Amino acid sequence: MVSSLLLSFTDYRIVNSPKFIGLGNYTRLFDGTDPYFYKSLWVTFKYVALRVPLGLIVSFIVALLLNQDFIRGKSIFRTIYYLPVIVPAVASSMIWIWLFSPDLGLINNVLTAIHLPTFNWLDSEAMVVPSIVMMSLWGVGSTVIIFLAGLQGVPRSLYEAATVDGAGFMRKFLNITIPMMTPIIFFNLIMGSIGAFQVFTEALIMTQGGPNNASLFYNYYIYREAFQFGEMGHASAIAWILFIIILAVTGLFFRTSKAWVFYESEV
Amino acid sequence: MRKPKRVKRKLFYSLTFTALLLSACSNGNTGNTGNTGNNEPKNTAVESNANTPKEKIELKFAFWGDTIEKKTVTEALKAFEDKTGIKVEAMHIPSDYLTKITTMVAGNVAPDVGYLNSGAAMTWAEEGKILDLTPLIDSDPDFKKEDYLDQIWYNWEPNKTLGMSTAVEGYGLMYNKNMIEEAGLELPPTEADKAWDWDTFVTYAKKLTLDNEGHNALDPNFNPNKIKQFGFQYDPYNMMAAVVSNGGNYLTEDGKGFGLAQPEAVEAIQKLADLMYLHHVSPTPLQTKSLPDMALQTKKVAMTVSGNWALQAFAEQDFNLGVGVLPKLKKSNTLLDGAPTVIFSSTKHPKEAWMLYKWMADPKSVLPLIESGLWMPLKKDWYTNPELINKWASGNKAHPDDYTKAFMKQTLENGIRTPGFEVKNFSKISALVTPALDKVWTGKETAEEALKAVESKVQPLIKGYYGK
Repeated sequence: MVSSLLLSFTDYRIVNSPKFIGLGNYTRLFDGTDPYFYKSLWVTFKYVALRVPLGLIVSFIVALLLNQDFIRGKSIFRTIYYLPVIVPAVASSMIWIWLFSPDLGLINNVLTAIHLPTFNWLDSEAMVVPSIVMMSLWGVGSTVIIFLAGLQGVPRSLYEAATVDGAGFMRKFLNITIPMMTPIIFFNLIMGSIGAFQVFTEALIMTQGGPNNASLFYNYYIYREAFQFGEMGHASAIAWILFIIILAVTGLFFRTSKAWVFYESEV
Repeated sequence: MRKPKRVKRKLFYSLTFTALLLSACSNGNTGNTGNTGNNEPKNTAVESNANTPKEKIELKFAFWGDTIEKKTVTEALKAFEDKTGIKVEAMHIPSDYLTKITTMVAGNVAPDVGYLNSGAAMTWAEEGKILDLTPLIDSDPDFKKEDYLDQIWYNWEPNKTLGMSTAVEGYGLMYNKNMIEEAGLELPPTEADKAWDWDTFVTYAKKLTLDNEGHNALDPNFNPNKIKQFGFQYDPYNMMAAVVSNGGNYLTEDGKGFGLAQPEAVEAIQKLADLMYLHHVSPTPLQTKSLPDMALQTKKVAMTVSGNWALQAFAEQDFNLGVGVLPKLKKSNTLLDGAPTVIFSSTKHPKEAWMLYKWMADPKSVLPLIESGLWMPLKKDWYTNPELINKWASGNKAHPDDYTKAFMKQTLENGIRTPGFEVKNFSKISALVTPALDKVWTGKETAEEALKAVESKVQPLIKGYYGK
């Protein structure tokens, strides 16, 4: 990591020895000489902004459902939701390429069957990021498991006391479940954001950054600079900017967390 | 926080330990070849034998390719080993080739000889990571540059060459004969001087494009939204044959301007886009996704443009394949693609690496790949000497009747190279041009709009032609 920081101040193309160029790599990024930097930042932020909240909401709902007593065969459902996590990203990307296929894909066929409009999922600039978000939601299993563990850790006595006080389902959910779960939500928020900033395989396998760079995710951009163009120094600089962004975002979350995260010990 | 620290410390120790081990190993190696007399007597015996290289030399050959290519190349390397006594390790890297080789080069463990894509090969050669073969060629009485095709050489400076393409890969028109006969049409031309001009070609393709009610694209009742059979299919990113046929090129003649934004190139590119959006004879990229891989065999497409290599797969299926020359705009030509085989300059045995290089460039060594249709040979006499031509280009399933005219002769006489052979900084320029062309091939912008818009961004990346 230290060497990559040093490299980020050099002109290093693997084939030559590193040559010190100061902030050259960084200015090239910020002054717009590099045509992909802002584009990939924008694409990645769009992805994070969609993926993180949706991922939290979906996995929280799934965990809540799986935590209900009235559902039969819970362990089977839990397994089913966790399964996609074990499928290698490359394999699931291949599966989703088929699902997203504009004329032959399952998704569009289902939409046609129920008389809804169809989309060119991966082939249109507007839809490609939402499509990849949709696909990634398929793999929320590990977040679900963490939520589920958290839900089971909420003391039953609290609910019982609330029932005695005459609280309904919504009341209990808002005043007990959510507050008790905030540390878990916070943890998943941080992990989810870090993961989302580093989205990569989907771009490599499914879209190669296209169409018209609409899915040029930041990590794919780093990979391309480093291994396709061989610009290691430049790629190191780009990677360091991502590191700082992630650091800043997590820092921000930690700052605000005081206001909304409750730890039992503090009560 | 304590725990991770301890893990880190463990990791640190084990890393240092491995590093020590590794450096110890490499020390041992240099000790063997060096002249320290402290070693056991056995070693000196090895050293005195060092004049006869057969015992010690080992080369690494890196390559990609499917299982058939893997088998043939490995066998060819084995045959070389048997003949010369030089050991060759076959390194087959089926995916992510460039990433792996890049890492190896950066780690100073590059192979001796190997395939490489043209973009990386050229830049690495400029930086001295690839061997200049000129001195080896000049001092070798058994090798004449003129024996090989002119279009296959990669020169990064006028008199510096990193070598030849691994194989010749020529393009041509391929069609389903039965479909042409059913439509009552003549077979497409097979010689350059009879090549279709563009309008004839478009009319022909229209006759072969049918909607679900059987109307062809010339019929006023033709419904372009319900096409059942396309006349023509083409990967439009292989547009360079059309561009050059129309008198354009990737860069301008002097190598200083963006040639694709010039009128000749724009016109050619627009004509290709018109096949999809104006004439409706060719599937759009989106429609292509919904076509089966075997569109030609299953009669979804009547004619397609593809490279030589497609013949290998076609030969395995029972269907009536015909071949012809590409339609022309001003001048008939075809596109030659390829990726070079190179010798990495880190090799310790350049002479033996060159022997291996020559061996692999000889069509005899890799004949199975040539007969099967995947490759075309690098040597000229395999295109001119009837006896040699019979060994690969005729009388077998992979090479249809007109192949010798439509592919072989056309490649030899009118083959133009893809820009990767000669445009400096090509991979970076094309990273800008490809997204711009996305908009043309998806029908959102005209060729002129898209290419003019990207021209100012491309301009600073233009560094001219290699070796011109």
